[in-house]
Amino acid sequence: MAQYLPIVVLMVLATGFAFVSLLASRILGPKNPNSAKSAPYECGIVPNRQPAQRFPVRFYLVAMIFVIFDIEIIFIYPWAVMYHQLGTFGLAEMVAFSIAVLVAFLYLISGGALDWGPVKRLSPAEIITRPYTGSATIRRVPRPEALLAGIEPMEGSAPDAPAAPSAPAEPDRVPATTGH
Amino acid sequence: MPGDPLFNNGLNLAVALIVIIKAIIVFVVVLVSVLFMVMFERKVIGHMQNRIGPNRAGPFGSLQSLADGTKLFFKEALLPAKADKRIYRLAPILAVVPAFLVFSIVPIGGTITIAHHVTRLQLVDPPWGILFMLMLSSIAVYGVMLAGWSSGSKYPLLGAVRASAQMISYEAAMGLSIAAVVVLSGSLHTSAIASGQHGLLHFRNHTVPLPAWNLFRTWVVPFIIFMIAVTAEMHRPPFDLVEAEEEIAGGFNAEYSSLGFALFYLAEFMNVVTMSGVTVTLFLGGPDGPRILGHSVGPFWFVLKLFAFLYTYVWLRATLPRFRYDQLMDLGWKRLIPASLGMLLFVAAVRTGSRGWVIGVMVGLVVGAIALMRALSVGARTTEVEAASIARAGRRA
Repeated sequence: MAQYLPIVVLMVLATGFAFVSLLASRILGPKNPNSAKSAPYECGIVPNRQPAQRFPVRFYLVAMIFVIFDIEIIFIYPWAVMYHQLGTFGLAEMVAFSIAVLVAFLYLISGGALDWGPVKRLSPAEIITRPYTGSATIRRVPRPEALLAGIEPMEGSAPDAPAAPSAPAEPDRVPATTGH
Repeated sequence: MPGDPLFNNGLNLAVALIVIIKAIIVFVVVLVSVLFMVMFERKVIGHMQNRIGPNRAGPFGSLQSLADGTKLFFKEALLPAKADKRIYRLAPILAVVPAFLVFSIVPIGGTITIAHHVTRLQLVDPPWGILFMLMLSSIAVYGVMLAGWSSGSKYPLLGAVRASAQMISYEAAMGLSIAAVVVLSGSLHTSAIASGQHGLLHFRNHTVPLPAWNLFRTWVVPFIIFMIAVTAEMHRPPFDLVEAEEEIAGGFNAEYSSLGFALFYLAEFMNVVTMSGVTVTLFLGGPDGPRILGHSVGPFWFVLKLFAFLYTYVWLRATLPRFRYDQLMDLGWKRLIPASLGMLLFVAAVRTGSRGWVIGVMVGLVVGAIALMRALSVGARTTEVEAASIARAGRRA
């Protein structure tokens, strides 16, 4: 158990350092908060929506797949430590284990569970062209339908992008920054 | 016998005192090395971009990071209106403590005698050394995730979910490439892994004029995978999507100011230093190197190799553009994880020394690679069909 002692000492030191420096900055720093400072940072725009409650489901999916792989790695470590003693039997076992993992992995990949990016579309008819309006150089904003067609990547870019195209509801509005 | 000889005679006051002194030394060394690393990075990047870099505070700007840190003490600590206060304050601590602890398992070389007590130049040498490192890198995800979530703001949340997905994805590849090293060393003691890399490389009863570092013993590929995975794990460029300024305005720490921000910054650079140390230990023989004037100078070689890695990370940052998120995830899941699993089997097969097994495993790997390619194309097709059906449903609505 004594082996743990140095880690405990270092952990206490590190935690103490973090606490003390946070406390020191609170004592030393100025303190005059106002509502503009404490509003969520949105690059200077007054936020008109609550922070996102949901984000793309793919992040959950990746976390769940990761759990499987992490457990697999946990199985591999004891095997790797004992590999000298196990010899070819250990290798045979690990080959069998890897095949089982690989089959599951290939199933995931072929189901598209690990695909993220913009979908490559093979049929050009699907793509709505006319990117530029006549003489203007302003890019035409695609209609919601076009967005749904998967031309623009939606995953990961903004959690509330696929929401209804109508304006956000009024009660969500954060009070304007007019002070207390 | 691996393990720190300091504890062979049980625990008494002198041992406890030595432990405390060692912990304080590690703490100070890590902190100072971070201050140095920040300055080093700014200086090197400055010169790579035809600028001078910091040159005002102290000789050659060497006190710049200290000055910046001191300044942050005197800045206002803001609390966002929508923040979950407790978790918001806890998150920087959760980020910085694991960063400190990783360095405790890195062996710097040899043993030292303090007041008749022999101890390693390494804070601890537990039988679960590498597992401890993996555990800490998992805990580091919490600091980032909770920081983004508790800020109650849009961009930090996006940065945090990106960060946690990225970090856990590359953790799998990292764990598998370390397993290849563990197969060779047969131990999770970091000191045993480092000391197992002495001398020259042997291959099929021949001596190859290369050091017997795990870099060569594992056929280089696990090292490359490990480097990529560690870079992604630390969210250093080119994998710094976590803090992509253009898209998510600084990422998970956008709502932090003053020392809260400083602690995240500290943790990030501390991870660069400590993970470079871990890389040197795992793949580059740790303190292994030729003797100079008849003395074994392990710490010197260790620091030299560490510097090579610190420079490499700065170099990567100055050179490479940032990945796109889908490219990042594809690289992690579809390339690195199968490649590291394959290399693990290959290294294990070579280790048995039987030609039949090596050829058998290699044939298996080729078959596996072909199956993977097939699965990738099927997967792309599936996604395409799904997207088309969603589009059709949208048009009908």
